[in-house]
Amino acid sequence: MAATATSPLLLRRMSLFSPHPSSSNSTLAFPSASASSFISPISFSLRSSLKNRSNPISTTFPSFHVSASAKKKILIINTNSGGHAVIGFYFAKQLLQSGNHAVTILTVGEESSDKMKKPPFSRFSEIVNAGGKTVWGDPSELEKLVGGDDSPFDVVLDNNGKNLDTVKPVADWSKSTGVKQFLYISSAGIYITADELPHVEGDAVKETASHVAVEKYIAELSFKSWSIFRPQYMTGSGNNKDCEEWFFDRIVRDKEVPIPGSGMQLSNITHVRDLSSMLCLSVDKPSEACCNVFNCVSDRAVTLDGFARLCAKAAGREVKIAHYDPKSAGVDVKKAFPFRVQHFYAEPRAAKEKLGWSSSTNLGDDLKERFEEYVRSGRDKKEMKFDLDDKILASLIPTAAATAV
Amino acid sequence: MAKLVTMQQQQHRYIPSISPSSLSDFGGIRLTIPIQQNQQQKKKVWHRKGGLQLQAMASSSSKKILIMGGTRFIGLFLSRLLVKEGHEVTLFTRGKAPIKQQLPGESDQDYNDFASKILHLKGDRKEYEFVKKSVGAEGFDVVYDINGREAVEVEPLLDALPNLEQYIYCSSAGVYLKTDLPPHFETDAVDPKSRHKGKLETESLLSSRGVNWTSIRPVYIYGPLNYNPVEEWFFHRLKAGRPIPVPGSGVQITQLGHVHDLAMAFIAVLCNPKASKQVYNISGSKYVTFDGLAKACAEAGGFPVPEIVHYDAKDFDFGKKKAFPFRDQHFFASVEKATTELDWSPQFDLVHGLANSYRLDFGKGTFRKAPDFSTDDIILAK
Repeated sequence: MAATATSPLLLRRMSLFSPHPSSSNSTLAFPSASASSFISPISFSLRSSLKNRSNPISTTFPSFHVSASAKKKILIINTNSGGHAVIGFYFAKQLLQSGNHAVTILTVGEESSDKMKKPPFSRFSEIVNAGGKTVWGDPSELEKLVGGDDSPFDVVLDNNGKNLDTVKPVADWSKSTGVKQFLYISSAGIYITADELPHVEGDAVKETASHVAVEKYIAELSFKSWSIFRPQYMTGSGNNKDCEEWFFDRIVRDKEVPIPGSGMQLSNITHVRDLSSMLCLSVDKPSEACCNVFNCVSDRAVTLDGFARLCAKAAGREVKIAHYDPKSAGVDVKKAFPFRVQHFYAEPRAAKEKLGWSSSTNLGDDLKERFEEYVRSGRDKKEMKFDLDDKILASLIPTAAATAV
Repeated sequence: MAKLVTMQQQQHRYIPSISPSSLSDFGGIRLTIPIQQNQQQKKKVWHRKGGLQLQAMASSSSKKILIMGGTRFIGLFLSRLLVKEGHEVTLFTRGKAPIKQQLPGESDQDYNDFASKILHLKGDRKEYEFVKKSVGAEGFDVVYDINGREAVEVEPLLDALPNLEQYIYCSSAGVYLKTDLPPHFETDAVDPKSRHKGKLETESLLSSRGVNWTSIRPVYIYGPLNYNPVEEWFFHRLKAGRPIPVPGSGVQITQLGHVHDLAMAFIAVLCNPKASKQVYNISGSKYVTFDGLAKACAEAGGFPVPEIVHYDAKDFDFGKKKAFPFRDQHFFASVEKATTELDWSPQFDLVHGLANSYRLDFGKGTFRKAPDFSTDDIILAK
């Protein structure tokens, strides 16, 4: 990539090679010096055109980053279960479909494991058909599994580890083999709960959260470009973990939906394609993405009650919500309800500002699609028990002692 | 010098071309900002994000500006900023409140300078013929309509000023239709039946008249001299050592914006081609729960953490009295459009803003409404 001595691009490239002021305190703040030390050619009036919600990814706006069409070698380390599993699936597919990139996805564990029978793993043929490579193994053995090649990977995404023990080998190997860009899926769960919302990048995080040590470690390894993504809840076909399904299960069976607290608590439920688009944009714009934390969420919150209503609307049915206090009901709310009970709301301000990213999540439409798939899978007809729900609803009825004859 | 804005980090402001020595430390925030390189320019130019936008600056020499209102709250701050910028500013008011009043924290020098320059057009804006004649006779380049409520009030002004360069309107985020998917963005659906439908109708009128207009939609405004008992409501209770009654769960989320930040936003849209025919939400950068706001007011005023009492509003009938100063629902708006397009960002975070308000107003013993704890007593008695 050429840059003349006087071009702003050169200034930008130079700043990438100088050590980035990694944060010395808990928050991974933006490096204050580099952010304003060069001229950004990004026109703000163009950015305003990104407000159109039906046009999620703008790749047409001019910026002086490295050519987006340069073919890259990308390695995804993917968890074999849980809410984040689907991120690697969408990311791989989007890279393959739009970027002519070479993608390898390494799933932790064994290909023969039962875990691989669940989505998204059950659909990994889609990655292979799109030209990607699927591998299984232990992320501490990367040299053996995916190494030994003449050309190193350009980009590595760790979508697996929650603590330093798991991510360090990946980060170290990446650094030693000359990987230029390191991306890490962390969690918005590390933000300290506060009365003021939303969580924005730079807010204080829980020092004891294991992800925090990983984030710090990555920031200090001086990759040419590193970025950290903090997601919340996800919806989307291929999801490994239930999200809206919990609500559909009750709505289609005409059961009351028990929601802890007032139901006014906010959450972020994002379609996984938004997470994928943010990751892809970071790959396209390593300079802009460099050294930043990104809340990897859509730009709208939803209340717990509101989500139940949207699920019901998607199902074409009414919903009856029962609010309860988990303590009084004698249930462990973590088992009884799929989302956090407090406000849990982050906004993707850094991605919008620094990457020019925009969200395409539209829960009204997205949940309709999800419901159609829910029904196609036959889950609406499955026999189900709702023991915890029954316990909760029973606790809301006036006690037998009060009505005893 | 252009920049990549980070909302919570950057402290970028306006660059008016006046010398720093004349700045008064009005409540801890300088009314104007450190000057950029080209302060020597004879032509007063609005500096925005560096060289990229200078070609848009040609029009912003000194303007003849009419403010509808300007003696109560927002206009007090806005008029001073405009006068300092060298514009000729006229306030259209009935004259009930003094046109010239020294504000808490305002230096004598600044006040005297303002007082010597501010002009008054006395009248009732509901007397449309008078408005049209008097405003037409004067002629103005720009109108800031701070106190307009109904569309019909705007027509005489537009009729009187056929060469008007810009009509800047103070609307309200209250026009938005309640949503399950906050925050409110400027593109969200509006509620034609809301209490603020006059604001909506005004925006529609402006749009249909082909004039260059800009509309600002604030959420809850706070700051020194607030006439709406927002922070004052909490301060009265904190001072009296009384518990704070909060309806419902206390997790409802609202949003406050400091009046000084709002005034700066009004400045940011002046003669700004980006702002032509645009609507902007203007408020604080973050939102806060009801319970959190009670605690923030306590922190700002140096009070101990308050006792908060939750109650079910349905259990009570308060008649016409308001038991709590906020809508009992989530109500907040994203200011991202403004921060991205306008070279503006809120300077006050909640606690600092409330502390500023406390220090310059309530903490000095001044307030607009005497405390009325009657609804509190009804709640606490239950």
